[in-house]
Amino acid sequence: MQIKLKRFAEQLLFASNILIAFLFFFEDKLVIPVWLQTVGRMHPLILHFPIVILLIAMLMEFFRFKTENSTNMFYRNFLQNLLLIGALFAAVTVIMGLFLSREEGYSGELLLWHKWTGLGIFFIASLIYWVRNSSWYKAPIAQSGAILTVIGLVLTGHYGASLTHGDNFIFEPISSRQEMAAVPLEKAVVFNDLIRPVLENKCASCHNPDKLKGELVLTDPESIKKGGKSGKLYVPGNPEVSLLLQRIHLSPDDKKHMPPAGKAQLTPDEIQLLTLWVKENSGFTKKVVDLPVKDPLRLLATARLVPSAKKEEAYDFDAVDEETVKKLNNDYRTVAPLAKESPALSVNIYNRSAFNIKQLDELDEVRQQVVSLNLNKMPVKDEDLKSIARFENLRKLDLNFTDVTGKGLKEITTLKHLQSLTLSGTKVNYKDLQSQISSFKKLKTVSVWDTEISVAEVAQLQKSHTNISVIGGFRDDGKDPLKLNPPQIKNAATVFSQATPLLLKHPIKGVAIRFTTDGSEPDSLRSPVFSDKTILNESVTIKAKAFKEGWYGSDMATFDFFKCTYKPDSVNLLLPLNRVHQAEGAKTFFDNKLGTIGANNPAWANNWAAVRDNDMAIVSEFKKPVTISSVGMHYMIEEDTGIFPPDIVEIWGGPNPDKLKLLDRVKPGLPSKGDKPSLKSLEGTFKPETVTYLKIVARPINKIPDWNKNKGKKALLLVDEMFIN
Amino acid sequence: MEKEILEHGLNFNRRRFLSSMSLGIGGIALGSLLMPDLFKNGELDEEALVAGMPHFAPKAKRVIYLFQNGAPSQQELFDYKPKLRDLFGKEIPPSVRGNQRLTGMTANQASFPLVGSFVDFKQYGESRAWVSDLLPYTSKIVDDICIVKSMYTEAINHDPALTFLQTGSQQGNRPSMGAWLSYGLGNENKNLPNFTVLLSRGVGNGQGVYSKLWSNGFLDSVHQGVQFSKGEDPVLYLRDPEGMDRKERREMLDNLSELNEISYQEFGDPEITAKVKQYEMAYRMQTAVPEVMDLSKESDDIIKLYGPDCLVPGTFAANCLLARKLSENGVRFVQLYHQGWDQHGNLPFEITKQAKDVDQASAALVTDLKQRGLLDETLVIWGGEFGRTSYTQGKLTQDNYGRDHHPRCFTIWMAGGGIKPGIVYGETDELGYNIASNPVHVHDFQATILHQLGLNHEKLVFKHLGRRYRLTDVSGKVVNDILI
Repeated sequence: MQIKLKRFAEQLLFASNILIAFLFFFEDKLVIPVWLQTVGRMHPLILHFPIVILLIAMLMEFFRFKTENSTNMFYRNFLQNLLLIGALFAAVTVIMGLFLSREEGYSGELLLWHKWTGLGIFFIASLIYWVRNSSWYKAPIAQSGAILTVIGLVLTGHYGASLTHGDNFIFEPISSRQEMAAVPLEKAVVFNDLIRPVLENKCASCHNPDKLKGELVLTDPESIKKGGKSGKLYVPGNPEVSLLLQRIHLSPDDKKHMPPAGKAQLTPDEIQLLTLWVKENSGFTKKVVDLPVKDPLRLLATARLVPSAKKEEAYDFDAVDEETVKKLNNDYRTVAPLAKESPALSVNIYNRSAFNIKQLDELDEVRQQVVSLNLNKMPVKDEDLKSIARFENLRKLDLNFTDVTGKGLKEITTLKHLQSLTLSGTKVNYKDLQSQISSFKKLKTVSVWDTEISVAEVAQLQKSHTNISVIGGFRDDGKDPLKLNPPQIKNAATVFSQATPLLLKHPIKGVAIRFTTDGSEPDSLRSPVFSDKTILNESVTIKAKAFKEGWYGSDMATFDFFKCTYKPDSVNLLLPLNRVHQAEGAKTFFDNKLGTIGANNPAWANNWAAVRDNDMAIVSEFKKPVTISSVGMHYMIEEDTGIFPPDIVEIWGGPNPDKLKLLDRVKPGLPSKGDKPSLKSLEGTFKPETVTYLKIVARPINKIPDWNKNKGKKALLLVDEMFIN
Repeated sequence: MEKEILEHGLNFNRRRFLSSMSLGIGGIALGSLLMPDLFKNGELDEEALVAGMPHFAPKAKRVIYLFQNGAPSQQELFDYKPKLRDLFGKEIPPSVRGNQRLTGMTANQASFPLVGSFVDFKQYGESRAWVSDLLPYTSKIVDDICIVKSMYTEAINHDPALTFLQTGSQQGNRPSMGAWLSYGLGNENKNLPNFTVLLSRGVGNGQGVYSKLWSNGFLDSVHQGVQFSKGEDPVLYLRDPEGMDRKERREMLDNLSELNEISYQEFGDPEITAKVKQYEMAYRMQTAVPEVMDLSKESDDIIKLYGPDCLVPGTFAANCLLARKLSENGVRFVQLYHQGWDQHGNLPFEITKQAKDVDQASAALVTDLKQRGLLDETLVIWGGEFGRTSYTQGKLTQDNYGRDHHPRCFTIWMAGGGIKPGIVYGETDELGYNIASNPVHVHDFQATILHQLGLNHEKLVFKHLGRRYRLTDVSGKVVNDILI
C-alpha cells in the first residue's frame, strides 16, 4: 500500500475511534435524519466484510511471531494492511449499526449485547493495530488479542443474527414446536394446541424420555396418562386431588413446587389452563369449538389462539402537514392526529345549534386521513351520509342521537374499514340494519341502544352476525321496579310568618306526591295528592310520599313547618353562648334557618347556638307592643354526645324590662337510652299577653342521668330557632 | 524490527500528534451534527413530546374516576376472605402484621382481633369474580370490569394518601392526574374544560376533599380542574350579570384581550395568555355548560338505569350521569369524589348504606357508556385511597366492628379504555392483610392510566425549579397484564 494512502487510512481510523466513542457517549441524544437511515440500513450488508477480513487478520496475527512469518516481508505488510482495512470496515459497520439501532423496533437486551460486543471488536482491533509494533507486544499478547477478537466476532454475529431472524432461527425448522397463532380456532384441539405447548415449553426439558425426572414423561399422551414415581398425574374432572395441579400451585419456595426454582415458571394463564383442562376433563382429543361458548376454558383458549392486536395499526396513507390540520380546527371542530407522528386523524364536532354539513365538506383535504369521526347529537340527516362516506378510511363512526335513519345506512356501506359504528338514540330499525349490516366487512361493534330495534331483534341480529358485537344496552322491562326517591321541598324556608303556600316537588316527571298534615303516614289511595293549592297557616308537620306507575312508592319524607308570627326588632343575649357554638349570636334564634343533625354538615356550625355552663337567656324587644300567646323553641337531641333538651324553659314578658311577668314554664321530657339523634320543638302557651319585652331563659341539664355514658356531666343545649305567636 | 520501532517513535512528532488530534476533533464535530440537542443544556425535547398530543395511539381518550373517598373496606366489597370469618376474634399473627405502622387511632389498641365480613359473597359472571351482597348492581357488570385486588400505597392517612393517588406525591403542590392529562393530551372539546370535578357526600363518616386535589400545580393554570357544583350555577361566575347580553360580553372580551396582549408584550408572563384563553373558554362555556348540565332530556330508561337519585343534584348518581354527559362531550378527565367511606366503627351499618348509595350508579355508568359505544375509549376507575385492616378497630361484637386504615392492600376496579374486561388481577393472602401476588403500586397504576391514554409516563414531564417532574415521580411500571 502506498505510504500516503496508508497514512490517510490510519488517520481515518483514529478519527473513527474518536467519533464512535463520542457517538456512544451521547447515544441518547442521537437523532438520525431520514437520509442517514438508508446508510444505517446498509449495516447488514457491510457487516460481512469486517467479519471475514478480521477473521483472516486475526488468524495471521496469531501466527505472526513464528520466525518464518516474522521474517516474511509480504506476510508483515499484508497483515498490517489487512488489519487496518478490517478495523476501518469495523468502524463503518459500527456507525451504521448505531444508526440502524435508533430506528423503531430495536431495543432490549439482545440489542445491548450486540452493540457492546460489536463495539468491543472495533476497539480491540484498533488497539491491536496501534500497539502491535510496540516492544512489549509479544506472541502471547498477540495470540490472546486474536482469540478475544474472534470470540467477539462470533458473539456479535450470533446476537446480530438473533436480532434479525429471531431466536432459534436455525433450529426452528427441525424443532416440532408449533406456532400457537398459526392454528385457526376452528381446528384447535385443546390438548395439542393449548396444553402440549405449555408442557413442552415449561416441563419437558426435565420430563422427557431422555431425562425422566421423577420417572415422569410429559411428551406424549400415553406417558402423561401413566404418571410418574409419585403416582398418577391427575384425576380427570377432579382438580383437588390431581398431583399435577398440586405441584404447580405450591408456593414457589416449596421444594416440590413445579417448575423448580430457577426454571421458567408457569404464567397465571398457563396455570389456569392446566387447571381447567383437568377440571373439565377435556382429555386429548376434544376440540376447542366443542366447548360451550361461555366455557372458561374456551374463553381462555380463544384469548390465547387469537393473537391480540397489540401493535399499532399501520395505515396505508400519508400524513398531511401540521399546518393543514391546525387550520381545520375551530371552536366547534377538533381535528387532531391520533398520536404524535401518526398520519391518522380523529375529528370531533360539537354544538348542535352551530352544526352544518359543510363542517364535514371542509375536511376534504384530509378525508383520507380521518379514521375516527364523532358526530354525537349533531343533526345529521340521511342525505348528509354521502359526505361522511367520503372519509374512506374511517374506522370509528359515532352517529349516536343524530337524525339518521336506517334508510341512509346504504350510503356508508362503502366504508370498508369501518370497525365501530354507534347508532344509539337514532331512528334506525331492524329491517334496515339487518339488510345493510353484512355490507360492513370489517365491522366489529355496532350499538343500537334506544333505537326502534327491540331486545328480541337485537338478539336476532347478534345470532345472525356472530362476528359483530351488537350492543343493545339497558332497557327497562318493568320486571324489576325501583323505589322512588322521596319528595323534596321547594319552599325557601320552613319558618314562615304569614300564610304561605306548601311547595313540594319531585325530580321525576309524572310522579304523584301524596301527603298528610296530621302526622299520619300517607298512603297511595286516600291521602290527598299534592297540588300547589295547599296554604299553610299554622305550624305543621307534613308527611309526604311519592308514587308512580311502574315504581315502588317512596320512603316517607317529613317536613316540619314552623310559624313565627312576630319577629322581635332586637335580641340581646344576657349570658354568653358556648365558645364553640356561637352561630350568629343572638340573631341565630330568629333568622328562619333551621339546623340539621350531624357535626359534619356545614349547616351545623352556622345554625346551632349552644350553652353548657350557664343558662341560655335572651331578651327580645318589640318596637310596637305585640299580643302573644305562645313561644316555641327548636332544639337538638343526641344523647350519645351529651346533647340534651333544656331542663326547664321560662318565658317572661311585659311592657317594662325591669318588671317582667312569668308567662309560662315548660319542662320537656328527657330522651331515653339509645334514642336516635333527633330534632324536637317545645311550646309554652299562655293567656294572650301584650308585651314589648320578652325574656326567654332555657336552662341546660346540670347532671346527665346515670344511664348515659356522660353521666354526671353538664349537658349541652343546642337551639337554632324560636317561634313567637 | 528494533529499527522500525525507533523509527516509529521518531516519526511520532508534535506535528503528527496535533494533526491526529485535529482528526479526533473532526470526528467529534461530525458526530455532533447528528445530535441537534447536544448543547441545549440537557433539555429533553419536551416541547416536541408535549404538544398536547399522545405519544402513541391511545386506547382510551377520556377518564372518569369515581373516587371513593375515605377508603372503602375491601373485605366487605370485593376481597372475599372466608378464613377471616373462621378466625373471628383471634389475634392477628405478628408474622402477618410484620412491622406495619399503625395509625394514631389503633396504635394504643391492646389487641388486634381479626374479623370477617358480616355480609356474604357470591361469584358472578363468566369471570366468576367474588362480589359481596352489598353490591348487587356491580355484581351484574363483573364481566365488563377488571378488579385489581392488589393495589398498595405508601400513605396511611387520608389526606396524604389521597394526594398521593391524585398527584403522585404525598405533599401537595403537584399537578393532579387530570391536570397532567390535560397537559399531555390537549382539548377534545374547546368549549368545556379538560378536567372537571364533581363532589358528593354519602351517609358515612366523611373526610374532606380540598381543591389542591384538582390543582394544576406548576402546570399552566388552564389545566386546573373546574369544579361543577350542584346549585343553579354549576360553574360559578359563568352567568352574565343582568342587563349584559352576549354581544356586549363579546365586545368586552375583545377589548380586554387587546389590553392583555399589550401587557403580555411588556412582561411576557405566560399566565397572561392563559388568562385570555380561560376568558374565551368561559365565553363558550356559557352556552355549552347549560346544555351539558340539562338532565331534563334523559330518557326513562336512563333514570331507571342510574336510579331515581340521578335527578337530584349533588348525589353520587346525579354526578355519575353528569360525568357521562361531560365525558361524552369530550371532557378528558371527570373526577368524582364521593365522601363517607371511612368506617372506623359501626362498619356493618354504615357501609351498607354507603354501598347502596354508589352501587347502582357506578354500574349504570359502565353500562351506559357501553350502550353508546363509548366504553372502548373511556376508562372508568372506581376505588379509594387505601384499604382497611383485617382486624377490628375498637370493640368487636358479633354484629358490630370497625376497620382502621390499611395501606398494604386495597381493591379498585377499572373498566373500558383498553383494560381487559372480566378479570380479577392480583391476590392478597388468606387474611387479606398482605399482597400474595401481582402487587400494583400507586405509581404503577398511574403509569397504566397514562399508558392507556397514549402517554409514556416517563416522558410526560415538566421542568420546574430545576428538575423534571412526572406524575409517577421516579418509578412506576405499566401493568401490562391487565391491558387488552
